[in-house]
Amino acid sequence: MAASWKRLLFHILLLLVSCRHINTKTPGPTPPPLVPISSLPTDERSVSLKGESHTENVELLNPVNLALQCTWTGNQNKLPNITGFWRKDGDEVENSRVTVQLEGDEYELKRVFSIVSEESLGSYSCVFGSEAKIEFVLAAPQIGEVRDKPIVSYVGDSVVIACKMEETKPKPGSWNWYKANGTDKEQIFVVAEPLRYEIKNEERKTKLVVHNLTEADGGLYYCGAVYAISTTMGHVELKVISFQEPLKPFIAIVIEVIVLVAAILLYEKSQSKKNYTEGNGATDQMNTMTQGENNGPEGSSSTRQRKI
Amino acid sequence: MAATKRGHAPPDGGWGWAVVFGAFISIGFSYAFPKSLTIYFKEIQEYFTVSYSEIAWLSSVMLASMYAGGPVSSILVNRYGSRPVVMVGGLMVSAGMVLASFGRTIMHLYLCVGVIGGLGLALNLQPALTIIGTYFQVKRPMANGIAMAGSPVILFTLAPLNQFLFDSFGWRGSFLILGGIVLNCCVAGALMRPVNNNTRPKPKTEPPERNGAAAEEAAAASDTGEQDESESQGCLHKFIDVSLFKHRGFLIYLIGNVVMFFGFFAPVVFMAAYAKHQGIDEYSAAFLLSIFALVDMFMRPATGFIGNSKWVRPRIQYFFSFAVSFNGVCHLLCPLLPGYVGLVVYAVIFGLAFGMVCALLFEVLMDLVGAKRFSSAVGLVTIIECGPVLLGPPLSGALVDIFGEYKYMYYACGVFMLVPGIFFFIMHYFNYKKLDEEKRQNVPVDMRTCEEAVQLKMSQDSNTAHDTDG
Repeated sequence: MAASWKRLLFHILLLLVSCRHINTKTPGPTPPPLVPISSLPTDERSVSLKGESHTENVELLNPVNLALQCTWTGNQNKLPNITGFWRKDGDEVENSRVTVQLEGDEYELKRVFSIVSEESLGSYSCVFGSEAKIEFVLAAPQIGEVRDKPIVSYVGDSVVIACKMEETKPKPGSWNWYKANGTDKEQIFVVAEPLRYEIKNEERKTKLVVHNLTEADGGLYYCGAVYAISTTMGHVELKVISFQEPLKPFIAIVIEVIVLVAAILLYEKSQSKKNYTEGNGATDQMNTMTQGENNGPEGSSSTRQRKI
Repeated sequence: MAATKRGHAPPDGGWGWAVVFGAFISIGFSYAFPKSLTIYFKEIQEYFTVSYSEIAWLSSVMLASMYAGGPVSSILVNRYGSRPVVMVGGLMVSAGMVLASFGRTIMHLYLCVGVIGGLGLALNLQPALTIIGTYFQVKRPMANGIAMAGSPVILFTLAPLNQFLFDSFGWRGSFLILGGIVLNCCVAGALMRPVNNNTRPKPKTEPPERNGAAAEEAAAASDTGEQDESESQGCLHKFIDVSLFKHRGFLIYLIGNVVMFFGFFAPVVFMAAYAKHQGIDEYSAAFLLSIFALVDMFMRPATGFIGNSKWVRPRIQYFFSFAVSFNGVCHLLCPLLPGYVGLVVYAVIFGLAFGMVCALLFEVLMDLVGAKRFSSAVGLVTIIECGPVLLGPPLSGALVDIFGEYKYMYYACGVFMLVPGIFFFIMHYFNYKKLDEEKRQNVPVDMRTCEEAVQLKMSQDSNTAHDTDG
């Protein structure tokens, strides 16, 4: 008992020296590495849970030592001791199981994680007993506006595919473009094919221009926003079709129009023939009388040639 | 139906309704087509790497061509009649869109879609309006109301259709297919059979003493009250009737309309933006526009129906003045309505007001100048209205930018509509008085207007021999 108290004192001293708040009550013989040796910056996130579960999104740009603190107000029972442990992406973190004591009506779990690369990102959860869970989703800034419908372009034409990082999110260091090749992604290098590809980068926007499209150019394209910690991907689908595709409906509509116009004019011709044979004299008189007035101030009938 | 003073009776029915349908299509495309193209702007902007204002120019060029082409259209209609002009117009828009689908620069689009397309639409609009006047007299407000309803209906259809085409074919393919769709204006044109071709002579309108030149004069003169062609002067008259500028009613209409159009379209353009500014999400904001369009769609024929009733028809100018003022009041009150419910109420009321004005817009012009001079009148009106229509939305936008909020823009639009409304009321009061005086004094027909003729017709039901011109 005295030994563990001494150990704790030692930890507290180190805590004061390195300005970190770490609290473990590991009963095991080897204490976990509380003070990381590397020179990464530090950051802290804490969540207080009142219900059963909660998810917190954490946006990270650079490698960091992240201290995650979970506080739980407990349930009806308010047991004096419960087991708490950490999970990463569903798997329990080694040596993270501890007994949490009820202090001031709350249970608390805290741990520091080294987030250095893409593998370190993911979902970290602290679990109290078998009920309460707080999930921290660690990720680089995600590309918000993802275009869900494909861009349609034509063989021989060029197309501009764009990706944008929202104003509210931090700027990426640079942008990369990838083309999907089966399940893989192949990066597009402009130098390799300068005539076909063009990449125009601005701080928050990137544009990939593909010239001289062929049907093989269709498929998924990925834009990667590069941050120190990882690259986040957005995707856009490109569809390349030949000009025959819209031509078919166009010709169908043109045929429909021609048919309708012909039908209307033929109907009119047949009607006028009927009128002509019926009211011959009267209509002639009608027509000469009415020549003067329709459509225009001019009275001469030379302009009255009403050709259809 | 009462006997008319023309040599032939405007059918007021029969094939006229087919013509109304044709006009419905033509007018619908003319107004709705430029608005519906905005869906493609974002992609075209990316493709050509131009700024947003450069792409917005496309709409402006199209609208400007459509309005500026008014007089050209009038001249052509005066010479050749409605049918050929509409068919040529349809072919022009179609050709413009098809050429545009092969475009390599933004200038190419400005020319094909903007200039050629806009001009083609102008050649659709005027003749469609004109031919209604030749087919309808008694039921004309109704016919006008139905035909003008084409605009919201076609917009309603084109909007989702354009989205579908865009998703399936991208902008190039869509332009090609739209070129085909707009070719249906030629079908509409085919329906616009010139009115004296197949009308059977109605026995009442052929009293024997009306033969010959005297009859022609009398018939024309007792027509909807415009100038007798024997009195027409100058060779400009062959093309377009500029003596309209001496016509009292025409001037009233023109002055009022020019002021009105500054505030007419801006509220529609900014409705969604205003809603979003109030914190409403994008879909609800778009829904407001749908509500507005739906109410507008039904209000137009309804207004035509009301305008046709025997209480309103003789004094239809007052009805129009009321509609314009109503618009003005609606905009002045808009900023006072809170929350989303307030905006929905505003959208509904605005839809009513907008539909009323649109349905009557050309009907009252026809009423003032008569069907014969209408084609010239509408040409002159559209080219003069071109200015306010194009300047209105950008000026309103500037107001919003300067003050940072929308209510000043609404106040301005409200004033721009209320003042012409009141102006119309006052001026038409005097105009009607003068007309009644002239009728009593038996002044030569060249100052008479249509509504007076209608009044006479309605009051002298069984009287076939008409003696106003002595």
